[in-house]
Amino acid sequence: MHNHTGLTQGLLALVPADGSSIGNQTLFERLRSQFPELTNELYWEVRDALVEQGVLKLGKGRGGSVQLAGVEVPPASAWVHFLRSYGPSSANLAMFDEHISRALDQAGVQPINLSAPLLEGMVSHVESNAPGAMLIAGTAGDGKTYHCRALWARIGGDPLHWAAKGNVKELCLADGRTAVFIKDLSELNGKESDLPLQRLESVVLGGDNSEIIILAANHGQILDRLRDLGRRQGRDHPLRKPLQERFLQAGPAPERLAVFDLSRSTSRQTLAEVAEAVAGHPEWENCQRCSLRSDGKICPIDENRRRLLGEADQGQLAHRLGDLVEIARHNGLHLPIRDLLALCSNMILGCSNKQYAKDNLLTCADVAKIQQGGDIGKASIYANAFGSNLPKRRASGRPVFKAMSSFGVGQESSNAVDGLLVYGKDDARLKSDFDCFVACDRIYGGTAAFYSAQDAYLEGYEGARLEGGASEFLAMLEDQRRRLFFTLPKGELGYPHWSMTVFCFAGDYLEIIEALKQQKPVSDTVRGRLVRGLNRVLTGLLLENEDRIFIASSGGFTQSRVSVLCDFETASRRQGGIGMAIKLDEETGQPRLDVSLAVGSGNSVIYDLTPIRHEFLSRVAGGAMPASFSNECLQDLLAFKAKLLRQTEIIKSACAVADDDEVGVESSGLSLNFIDVEPGGHGFSRPMTVRITE
Amino acid sequence: MIATIQRPEIRSVDFCVDENIWGHRLYDEQLPHLAVLEFLGILGSNVDRPLRPQPEHGGAVTFKPQRQIRLRGLLFNNPYVESIAESAVSDDEKWKRWFECFRQGATGNGDEDMGYLRRSFSSFDDFAKTIELLRSSAFESRSNKRWSSKFVFPFGPDALYEDLAINAKGSMSNDRRFFARTGELLYLMLTRAQSGAELGDSLVERLFDSNAPMNRLVRVLQGAPQRVEEPKLTGYLPEARNSRFDRICDDWLSILNRDMPIYDALEHLIAITGLNMLLYFLERAKLVAGDDDPVEIVCEIVSKERTKIRALSGDSYQVNQGLPAKAVRVHVESVRLDARWSTNSQSCELQDVERLKLMRERFQWPPVDGVDEEDFTNKKPEELVDELVVNALARHAQHVGKIHASWSRAIGLSSRRLSRRTRYAPNDKLLKSIVVSIVKDRMQFDEFLAEVKSRYGLIIGDAEGTRLVSDKLVDQEELSENRNNLETRLVSLGLVRRLSDSCSFVENPFALQGDIEC
Repeated sequence: MHNHTGLTQGLLALVPADGSSIGNQTLFERLRSQFPELTNELYWEVRDALVEQGVLKLGKGRGGSVQLAGVEVPPASAWVHFLRSYGPSSANLAMFDEHISRALDQAGVQPINLSAPLLEGMVSHVESNAPGAMLIAGTAGDGKTYHCRALWARIGGDPLHWAAKGNVKELCLADGRTAVFIKDLSELNGKESDLPLQRLESVVLGGDNSEIIILAANHGQILDRLRDLGRRQGRDHPLRKPLQERFLQAGPAPERLAVFDLSRSTSRQTLAEVAEAVAGHPEWENCQRCSLRSDGKICPIDENRRRLLGEADQGQLAHRLGDLVEIARHNGLHLPIRDLLALCSNMILGCSNKQYAKDNLLTCADVAKIQQGGDIGKASIYANAFGSNLPKRRASGRPVFKAMSSFGVGQESSNAVDGLLVYGKDDARLKSDFDCFVACDRIYGGTAAFYSAQDAYLEGYEGARLEGGASEFLAMLEDQRRRLFFTLPKGELGYPHWSMTVFCFAGDYLEIIEALKQQKPVSDTVRGRLVRGLNRVLTGLLLENEDRIFIASSGGFTQSRVSVLCDFETASRRQGGIGMAIKLDEETGQPRLDVSLAVGSGNSVIYDLTPIRHEFLSRVAGGAMPASFSNECLQDLLAFKAKLLRQTEIIKSACAVADDDEVGVESSGLSLNFIDVEPGGHGFSRPMTVRITE
Repeated sequence: MIATIQRPEIRSVDFCVDENIWGHRLYDEQLPHLAVLEFLGILGSNVDRPLRPQPEHGGAVTFKPQRQIRLRGLLFNNPYVESIAESAVSDDEKWKRWFECFRQGATGNGDEDMGYLRRSFSSFDDFAKTIELLRSSAFESRSNKRWSSKFVFPFGPDALYEDLAINAKGSMSNDRRFFARTGELLYLMLTRAQSGAELGDSLVERLFDSNAPMNRLVRVLQGAPQRVEEPKLTGYLPEARNSRFDRICDDWLSILNRDMPIYDALEHLIAITGLNMLLYFLERAKLVAGDDDPVEIVCEIVSKERTKIRALSGDSYQVNQGLPAKAVRVHVESVRLDARWSTNSQSCELQDVERLKLMRERFQWPPVDGVDEEDFTNKKPEELVDELVVNALARHAQHVGKIHASWSRAIGLSSRRLSRRTRYAPNDKLLKSIVVSIVKDRMQFDEFLAEVKSRYGLIIGDAEGTRLVSDKLVDQEELSENRNNLETRLVSLGLVRRLSDSCSFVENPFALQGDIEC
């Protein structure tokens, strides 16, 4: 009996005091680490006794969990707990779907519903009686399984059958065919995938019309599996090359294989949808009757959710967040839905102080603590958006936070913004701006904690002089900058928000895309800046020309520092088929520079303008060169230059053949075009002839 | 065992040890670009039979290098041209002043009368501008080397010349300071490669076009080429075949097949040659030292975060740095394993004579006539071996032993960035050259990494570094992070396209258009 008392107390100590639930398995294992002799039977005996006494009650769902009875639980806590399971904790890195369904079971709340953007296309593909197979490709977290399941349900499959064990599901269709679903290739080990792949091949290439195969897989996975299978069979697998080309958008998919690529579908809209689904979820209604936000108390969870919804700022926060996602996407980063969910979850629940919140994600039970501590600023949605509440290691494990932190918001700043934040409160000239941009937000802007740290910093108390003495204030300053990035009004000339990021010119970049989409001309300033940057890179001279592009060489390496020989000169604006045009790539939605050296297709060289390349050119045009990304982009541009030179070579040799007369002149003289620079920086090419006397 | 060509007697060396292992000779100060220039000079003198063996000369080939005294004088021994161009005097006066200045500095080797220049250039300023242009594209144009060791970009056959020492009186000699025969060895390697002849033809066609505009410009300055009178014989390269020779040759061929201007291809040729020659150096060392495992080069891909790979690649660097000296010791001491060393002769004295003979055959040492102050006659062969080890290591440390450090730095393979210790941390240029030579149009990233390891022994990712993981030197995770860093780096260099997690493709920006479409 004595033993039981100890066990009972130990068990009770492990059940969360805030009334949230804990799973039996977890509880059992934790308890056993304290009581090694604990058996399963004993555990259940003790647990059931406690339930009978009314000390514990069973959690919602299938009874797999327990929670303390009689604790007054904030009304939305089950939901918040569930939302937390989407967040960037280490628990949900693998087997995400299972993790979420378990959490859903426990919480007993409505799930987060997201649309399946490609579902309609899939359904109509099945209904169209098109023979062959369907491949649902995408990154982990893109929602491949989600789509599969939705399709299964739409064409009449039984959800229970789906949830049962087994990776391959079959369903008889009305037209007599069998639909074969292969849920996830990654769950099949090694040779287990041979059979499904052989089935795929026979359906796609063998002309078997009795089945339609629906296969979900990662890009890399299916290519690898096909390669391995091909190797073992001593051949190049016939599906591999065409699929690879299709993935890279370099060629069509095989005729009888429809590819649905989910990794191409996330964008600003997806984020907006996810944010709406999370922040606008009906479960939040429960917060209305929560004591944590009564009597003028501020609940950071509730506050963050409202800000994400955009109730007060007309959606500016969500819009800027969308901008960031767009820029990241154009820089080649793919952010799967799962990551966007993690981002939204973290924005609402994140908290930089680990003492308040385990895993840096708040639960309702933590809110009271943070309120008592007067530290609501630690849960600022603006800092959470960049993952700065998370420890570095955990943030860098998630593509989305890696992407967000790569903008450098918080570290980057402008003099105007820093001046405002440091002196604004006391400086008469800045006061009105300060009140308008900082002080107006009493929760995350002008907080008491910020004012006192600011005073301490400005007054220069003893601590401020010491090394690292101002670190507290500086950390706050970073969070304030993050806040300003999201809250500065659009078009506020004194404080442009993009200059607080690494991508100072990202705003212009997005405008280029917008203009091209609406088939309007790109603004002259932006185009001029790009051309100036391009000329400076191509020649290595400080040129100011914006009307033409010099394709220059040094005679030797393209790499050489300065290139003073003008091989070719073309207009910076496409006219009559010659010159530079800025176009939109339909497939990627990205702008590209298209420099055409002669009339006719095949005479132009294309340079995809990613945000980072745009930034590089724009900064070169301004004369400043940040060391951080100079070399990378330079190599990239030099490759472009080499291609331009090669194209020039081709066009010139074509001209020489066409113009036979010139050859005679050529042999007695040699003409070189030097680029001369006027004092104002305007460059022009000056021909020089060398006579050959032999 | 691959056939080794009998070494001819090498004069002007004290003994042959490094020479037996690697050939005569690899040299630290002859950086890869100088090796390629020396190589091109030999090729230029053999355009009628490029990269073909010349059986009449044994394993070597002959060539007549160009000297182009006028051209190099105009470019690198002509410091007054700018100031004269800038002076405010008439064109006639400028020419007059310049002719006077140049005449004073002339070496007297065909550069006395430069009057022909005036007929080619319409003004002195044009002339000055041309000089400036050619200087700007020259190798190491800003270095403080002597003027006779500076080189114009190899625009074509007229732009090639050999390294010289020219003294105040104008007499010229080959002091082998920067053309130390490493380029000759490169020529021999490529000649012995299986596709050598194909490469030779291709190089002659692409690079030896005397009508290329820049070559014609150089010819305007130089006038008729100046060659040495007597043909020279290249140095000695031990092995008749070596897969590394084939590797260099195939790399050159694939780079030449890319869609890029030939002058740009040169840059990649130089980098890839440096890498391959470095590997030849290390592989030979390993082989001679009796270690059959392939050379491993663990590369850190520098990123913001410090990783364990940094320490590991530093260790790898140290291990490789130590290989050549080990080879020298083993090679000298291995003479004791020779059958003739331990032949049971009738008397000790006879055996010593035999041993001494053997040593002389192998090492050209000790000298037959004791010209040196040292006297070897009284020493036992056993002692002599030990003495040779000491001498050979001392000489080895002066130059050959520094090859690994200086070449790996020159090609951008090693670096001390963010660290006090030198380690392998390839820079962007080298990575680009590797991509250009390996990838035809595109290649899956993991296949690329496997290829990088099998060709060059570079270990970057976890799949390549399984040995390191199983030896518990590093976590698999660290290596895969390193691999991810490379991926990120190549993405930003425009060389990788990413599809989804764990699936990306390395793309060659200079792939021929036809290749991509098919």
